[in-house]
Amino acid sequence: MPETTPLPGQERFLAPLDETPLQETGALDTSSPPESQWKEAWKELRRNWLFWVSGAMILLVAVVVIAPGLFTNLDPSYADLSKSLDPGSSGHIAGYDKQGYDVFARMIYGARASVLVGVLTTILIVVVGLITGAVAGFYGGWVDSVISRIADIFFAIPLLLGALVGLSVINNLFPDRGEFGGIVAVVIALGVFGWPQITRITRGQVLQVKNMEFIDAARAIGATKRSNLLRHVIPNSLPPVIVTATVSLGILIVAEATLSFLGIGLPPGVVSWGNDINAAQNQIRSGQRIGVMFWPAGALAFTALGFILLGDAVSDALNPKRRTE
Amino acid sequence: MWWYIGRRALQAIPVVLGATLLIYAMVFLQPGDPIKALFGEKPVNETIRASIAAQYNLDDPFLIQWLKYLGNALTGDFGLTYAQQPVSQVIGDAFPVTLKLAVMALIIESVLGVAAGFYAGLRKGKLFDSTMLIVSLLVIAVPIFVFGFLMQLIFGVKLGWAPITVGGDASIKNLMLPAIVLGLVSFAYILRLTRTSVVENLTADHVRTARAKGLSDRSVNSRHVLRNSMIPVVTYLGADLGTLMAGAIVTEGIFNVPGIGNLAFRAINRGEGSTVVSIVTLMVLIYVVMSLVVDLLYAWLDPRIRYA
Amino acid sequence: MTTPVLQIKDLQVAFRAGKKLIPAVRGASLVVYPGQTVAIVGESGSGKSTTAHAIIDLLPGTGVVTGGEILFEGKNVAGAKKGEILALRGSSIGLVPQDPMTNLNPLWRVGAQIKEALVANGVAKGKDADRRVVELLEEAGLPDAERRARQFPHEYSGGMRQRALIAMGLAARPKLLIADEPTSALDVTVQKQILDHLDSLTDELGVAVLLITHDLGLAAERADHLVVMYKGQVVESGPARQILQDPRHPYTQRLVSSAPSLASQRLSSERARVEVREQAVQTAAEIAEEVATHADEFGVGQATVVEAKNLTKDFTLPGGRPGSSSAFRAVDDVSFTLARGTTTAIVGESGSGKSTVARMVLGLLDATSGTVEFDGVDITTLSGKKQQLALRRQMQPVFQNPYASLDPLYSIYRSIEEPLRTHGIGNDKEREARIRDLLDKVSLPAAVMRRYPNELSGGQRQRVAIARALALEPEVVVLDEAVSALDVLVQAQILKLLNDLQGELGLSYLFITHDLAVVRQIADNVLVMQNGGIVESASVSTVFDSPREEYTRRLLDAIPGGSIPLGA
Repeated sequence: MPETTPLPGQERFLAPLDETPLQETGALDTSSPPESQWKEAWKELRRNWLFWVSGAMILLVAVVVIAPGLFTNLDPSYADLSKSLDPGSSGHIAGYDKQGYDVFARMIYGARASVLVGVLTTILIVVVGLITGAVAGFYGGWVDSVISRIADIFFAIPLLLGALVGLSVINNLFPDRGEFGGIVAVVIALGVFGWPQITRITRGQVLQVKNMEFIDAARAIGATKRSNLLRHVIPNSLPPVIVTATVSLGILIVAEATLSFLGIGLPPGVVSWGNDINAAQNQIRSGQRIGVMFWPAGALAFTALGFILLGDAVSDALNPKRRTE
Repeated sequence: MWWYIGRRALQAIPVVLGATLLIYAMVFLQPGDPIKALFGEKPVNETIRASIAAQYNLDDPFLIQWLKYLGNALTGDFGLTYAQQPVSQVIGDAFPVTLKLAVMALIIESVLGVAAGFYAGLRKGKLFDSTMLIVSLLVIAVPIFVFGFLMQLIFGVKLGWAPITVGGDASIKNLMLPAIVLGLVSFAYILRLTRTSVVENLTADHVRTARAKGLSDRSVNSRHVLRNSMIPVVTYLGADLGTLMAGAIVTEGIFNVPGIGNLAFRAINRGEGSTVVSIVTLMVLIYVVMSLVVDLLYAWLDPRIRYA
Repeated sequence: MTTPVLQIKDLQVAFRAGKKLIPAVRGASLVVYPGQTVAIVGESGSGKSTTAHAIIDLLPGTGVVTGGEILFEGKNVAGAKKGEILALRGSSIGLVPQDPMTNLNPLWRVGAQIKEALVANGVAKGKDADRRVVELLEEAGLPDAERRARQFPHEYSGGMRQRALIAMGLAARPKLLIADEPTSALDVTVQKQILDHLDSLTDELGVAVLLITHDLGLAAERADHLVVMYKGQVVESGPARQILQDPRHPYTQRLVSSAPSLASQRLSSERARVEVREQAVQTAAEIAEEVATHADEFGVGQATVVEAKNLTKDFTLPGGRPGSSSAFRAVDDVSFTLARGTTTAIVGESGSGKSTVARMVLGLLDATSGTVEFDGVDITTLSGKKQQLALRRQMQPVFQNPYASLDPLYSIYRSIEEPLRTHGIGNDKEREARIRDLLDKVSLPAAVMRRYPNELSGGQRQRVAIARALALEPEVVVLDEAVSALDVLVQAQILKLLNDLQGELGLSYLFITHDLAVVRQIADNVLVMQNGGIVESASVSTVFDSPREEYTRRLLDAIPGGSIPLGA
């Protein structure tokens, strides 16, 4: 490096000190209150319009499920055959179906069965999937092999086909199982073939988390494997499971409707969207009164869309990488 | 690589066995007299009873029944339907139709899904992207049979562009509408998957490096963004063939397509165990084979993965 | 008078966040002449990379140039049309990016990726281009270039990838090459080779280089002219040697005094170390006496607190055929001792086995053979949970990555409380008092307790990790690359903190690092490891002043800036 006179523009330059003050390295930013990752995600969620739209949709559905009487004072199980396929009048905005049931009242009361199936099945698959996935991923070895192979067996049978067979078996065993029994049957049939998806997601996430340094730090403290799994690994593996569970809720509601549509889901006596859509298919085929199908199908799509949108919003909030773009 | 295929095939054996055992148990391991259930209220002739019991090995313990079924299946004998037709023949007639339908759906959904997802990803946040987002969400949320009926009504009944039902003539032309309906949901998933993947890849370091080399947007997008984004899509597509064939239950019902889905549905309703078990076994085999195909495709797409 | 190849005047760059613009570069100016090497030096967040990317209009995400001029050969390219920028990229301005692992497309052969640069800039086509690719790879110092061109990036080592990226950046013979931390992801010895090669190559071709780096020593060694950036502003610039020998801005002064590569030459850091050691050894001896007289304490209170004997670790890798597998020896017959109140450093490049040794010492990984004794007790034969827990209290780790070593869901309070709770120490109130005391020890305000890791800077997190490690009052702390991921100034602060704590508490450190430069500031004895084995083992002064082994000499030579005489 020979010493030469600097070229123009490269003379020695020193910025005025008052314009470039040194900042304390390692000062704590106390401008905002402490925030955990969950709280931060919640804040992020509240900023997202998708969350508010989907939240409002789900809230509306929830109110309908809890208090259907607020929306209609008609009896969904009262049929007047003389009004068959009547397009409707005041107080009967959606008209009547083939049997003379009030379509709107049935849409309102049908929410309960559909939503219940979705919620209960989701709880079932999350509980089973979370436990199996976490144990398989964390302990590895033969435990992992056994759980993964069993999950593969259930995963290899397509959900719809498996649930159909399962329900037909339950139909044979318990032909008269009532409204709640009918719902439980669908939950079991969907749950049995639905859990491996959650198992796989949880297992993958646990495999990532268990190799992080804070797990080693906890081991070095002397924490037991079990407390490590429960206190560190599972909580940190939850985000993708929550996202999948939310979206699954919507998709399972659609799956229930499909089973009912095939005539094998909820028992015919249960007021549900799937059953009503099933009953309305002849009207579509013949092209008369599409509205009979429109109402239950619309309500179903609205509900499913609510959960799927919420899943999207939650996913954005929990995934900081996607958020920053 | 052959070792890898061999190892995977070995791993698949317990899955196939387990799945058939599971479904076999669900169908055949029920309380009560299956033969009596078959005849309903009618009195059962003892000679007929004996012949049926012999045919289905009903007098053996359950596990032996299953093993005998498997043994017969390996020789191509899947049992008889109630109408005394060989199950293998019934499935053999229906399977090509559903395979054709599912492959058509697969082609339609992947071409449209990748194209729309790619474009939406490139134009993230713009009108096309938002429109596609809403379209894909609607397609996932609305049950497929609703679309089926609507399309049947519009294109079949009102416009007359396509036959309302397919019936005996399962030509590509006749299967077009059912294939579109069948592929709709997967189209939405592929679109979303491609879009996410494209958006992620657009910010990848190596894409920036490609731009710094002086490559035009066009070459960057086609050579670096699109190809790298295909990897998760291919994985999805592989698993999708099985899902499509199962989903055909609904679509084939609406359009009256004489395929596996229709067959399965009727068999389940009639309690025709041998047919049900055989169809599920077939589906499981498809799933297992497709998983392996996906793995190999993966290795072909991504040179980092080498199955030694 | 030559005209500058690049002139940046009062450049302003900001990132859009919602409706707000967050400034990242505030009024940066610099000049690069043909054939010259100019370095921008700064720590993370200083705006050095942003400035570089603004030149070729490749700002990440929502970045925009909000003011100033970027003159390339006298023509303003800030806000130029897309086509004009495209014409400049590759052919006039080349880029060698930072991380060789992520900057090559994993799905294309390396040759094809270089060929793209030739074709896109109209340099060559078809067979000619293929031939040229091989020449370029050879020129970048890649042996067996013809075969290598047909390989995929994952078949290359990090250094080879970086050579490929250099070939790519120079493919169309640009007038200016932007080298953005071109070697910071590589091992030091590889780093030196590649920089030497880049130097001679750009000299030969007469290419001007804009070097972006966080390492002041490296910048001063490689560049004619230095530009020091801090928080988006240029605080000082001028001839490289002048800046190093006579830094005027307080920030530059701190950089010069903290940069480990420069500090490593100073004997002053070794003198300071001697004082720390004297104090630490004395305190440690008092502790040892206590241990020796109390039967319920773990260990016997001997002067050698950790002794590793013939440690060996084999990993089995699954082979191609079923049943077959191959063994890989990660650590091969390693023995060393750690005396109470002192620091033993284990230095090695990636794959040397140094971290595997640390994990075996900590008991997180079982050794294939060999033993680790803690204060006379073989830790591999500890019986029962109680003994295990007793050992844990005496030996604690601090890991490398400050972003991964704390559970993101735990508040700082809970993180530091966890060891106390696990060992059933104290009640809630006593624990809180203890945590306050620990935070005070690592110079963090008590208000940090209620915070979460994501709200803390890297240096603060590392302080928390140290506080957690000290919670159980251990005798030994294993520091596994504990300062490697930190910015220079923060690194210096943490090293000082570790020295202070050692003196005060009589701690013994096992200090694992890839960076020989920091060793002089904290260690007393050094083990140099390569390929799983120990190459050289001696005191710090011996290793620095009269290394016996060729490999150790190479490591020392590779410390950037070592050849520059310092004024202050």
